[in-house]
Amino acid sequence: MNDPITKIVIVGGGSAGWLTAGIVAAEHRISNTTRSEGFRLTLIESPNISTIGVGEGTWPSMRNTLEKIGISETDFLKNCDASFKQGTYFKDWTTGTGDAYAHPFTVPHRYADINLAPHWLAHSERPGFAEAVCPQTHLFSERLAPKRITTPEYAFNVNYGYHLNATKLAALLKRHCIDVLGVEHIEATVTEVNASENGDIESISTDRTTPISGDLFIDCTGSRALLLGKFYAIPLQQKSHILFNNSALATQVAYPEEDAPIESCTLSTAQQAGWIWDIGLSNRRGIGHVYSSGHTSEDEASVDLINHIESLTTASYAKQVSLRKLTFEPGFRQKFWHKNCVAIGMSAGFIEPLEASALVLVELSAAMIAEQLPARRSIMDIVAKRFNEKFLFRWERIIDFLKLHYLLNKKKHLPYWSDNLLGSSVPDSLKEAIELWRYNSPWHYDTRQVDDLFPSASFQYVLYGMGFNTAPSHTERKTEQEAAKLATSLFQENAERAEQLKSSLPSNRELINKIKTFGLQKI
Amino acid sequence: MSSFQIVSASRHQQTRVLTDYHASLGDSLMYAQTFPLEFRDIQSCYPIFFIKDPDSGQFLAAALFGFEADENLFLHNRRWDASYLPMMIRRHPFLIARQGVDPASPENTQPVISIDMDHPRVNDSQGEHLFLEDGKPSVFLQEAIELLKNIHRAHQHNENFQKVLLQYDLLESLNLDITFNNGSKKTISHFYSINESALYSLGGDALADLNKQGYLQPIFMAIASLSRLRPLIDRKDGP
Repeated sequence: MNDPITKIVIVGGGSAGWLTAGIVAAEHRISNTTRSEGFRLTLIESPNISTIGVGEGTWPSMRNTLEKIGISETDFLKNCDASFKQGTYFKDWTTGTGDAYAHPFTVPHRYADINLAPHWLAHSERPGFAEAVCPQTHLFSERLAPKRITTPEYAFNVNYGYHLNATKLAALLKRHCIDVLGVEHIEATVTEVNASENGDIESISTDRTTPISGDLFIDCTGSRALLLGKFYAIPLQQKSHILFNNSALATQVAYPEEDAPIESCTLSTAQQAGWIWDIGLSNRRGIGHVYSSGHTSEDEASVDLINHIESLTTASYAKQVSLRKLTFEPGFRQKFWHKNCVAIGMSAGFIEPLEASALVLVELSAAMIAEQLPARRSIMDIVAKRFNEKFLFRWERIIDFLKLHYLLNKKKHLPYWSDNLLGSSVPDSLKEAIELWRYNSPWHYDTRQVDDLFPSASFQYVLYGMGFNTAPSHTERKTEQEAAKLATSLFQENAERAEQLKSSLPSNRELINKIKTFGLQKI
Repeated sequence: MSSFQIVSASRHQQTRVLTDYHASLGDSLMYAQTFPLEFRDIQSCYPIFFIKDPDSGQFLAAALFGFEADENLFLHNRRWDASYLPMMIRRHPFLIARQGVDPASPENTQPVISIDMDHPRVNDSQGEHLFLEDGKPSVFLQEAIELLKNIHRAHQHNENFQKVLLQYDLLESLNLDITFNNGSKKTISHFYSINESALYSLGGDALADLNKQGYLQPIFMAIASLSRLRPLIDRKDGP
């Protein structure tokens, strides 16, 4: 029990396995593998099992993650067909008759000092909420980039994450982890998980090596969850009664020409029983339909997707696209860390990619393990308990936040959308929050933990983008007049900043092309 | 608006070039590009900073003349008030163009001197002649041709400079916070300069590598040029 934790074994490659390897190895120096003591990190990856290959949007946190791992942003952008993601743009989610709103990656203007939402609500004639309070929103319609060729790597003019080819990201990380960080790579398929006397995982048997032992095992085997799910039988808490989507049809769509504009954000277009994502990489678009098999059939979902693709391209192009079907069980494990095994990635859980939360959970999980790596087995259970508490809370928050997108719809004539309003499908925590928000717009008191996953501003963007109303204050606040004056000047400032950004930032396509030619400077 | 013509006696017998310095002649520049081969002369009059080309993000060296766009503190009474004039200032209105020698092989070109006929220095009544009465190039034109050859050489020597500076981490970003005598303040935050601590920790091999490429001396000249910043501020402050 007092043995130091020095050997970590990651089972599974893909973006979860290799991001975890990179994050941990960037923090802890790996000893020369010829020595028997010292910190060691091994990743076992089966050459036969393919990765999911569609997780393609990230949060701004990915910039810090890649920088910490030691990847050059220029190399990443060039090798992973990546582009810049500045938020998500939702179409037809509210009434379905052409409504649209943005959820940008920047909090409203001066968010720390003033809540602009009540002041925006007070005007009957007004632009969209995200347009009024955030200059970044104005970049979307013109497909402008969040930085310039003169902005250093990982720095921004406006905050951004990425759209990327996840398979290529895994390959880039793998090379870096093995060649630069000293991670040991074993290409083999797991045959057996072997327990030790106390019930911990002792070692992993494979089809081509002797059993691989370790002190901590990280399960990155995807939805199969070989270690946590299969070996330890930690059940998945199903959330399909809240978030109905459990299937997806995915494809890739070519750009009409090489220099076609690249979108600045993920596009999410609501459908009769789900929604279609459109992620613009530099070389092609990833488009897919996430839907509920309980509300529509694969055939109907295919038709919806083909029609959508036709509206973006041509009838003949749309007819020949090949669709890949995926199914998933929306939900997350009862716990993520059990004994000396912790699950990261799809093995921990999965829900629809509505706010691209999958990769950020990988980043956060790996970062916590890297930072809080238990020194000894006797400490591990304490760290595991904290890890479980933190991530269970985070998963609940994700469920609540995604459900919010569905809760504000006004499409009662469609079964899927009206079913989403049923009380039985809404978590109590969200019901409570919504009640409160009828009278108090979300702001700092809605941030429950210091490192909360979603800033309270995200709730604002969805609420007010979908036409939710928060009543004005029921008392006369003494600060009201001054705040109203400040708000007016901030709306003006926001508009000016938007114009300034629009006139000084290049288009995404232009910037990506320049980066391919010149690269970004490190300083 | 530029309109370049290859200089020839037949076309430019009457052409003359003004040689004074004035805002009306396009000289209100905050900086001009300079090159390692020129740093030792530049540092006697101007601070050298590195900036990024806005179109490519690549670094270039600049001799600084002022603190605002279009501010040149060296212009005075139609003269340029310094003992050394940067090459990229002296070269106007000329340029090296490349002329094909053989239509069958378009990559076969030779350098030829060209003149921007739209440049405000160019006229047919005042200033230096390009050609003598017998059609031979004037001393002025000959010197211009020599200057353009030097600029070409300086460009070539400069080609590897950025790469080498970045390779040895010798560039760092810099914030200039200046308070002028009249109380006004100016912050310039997109300049770069030589990272002296990185330079002083270089070992023998690195220094030899820099020296071999002819970059060691210019790096020290760039450092020395920073002592020209104070006099530039004094120029703005006035007597």
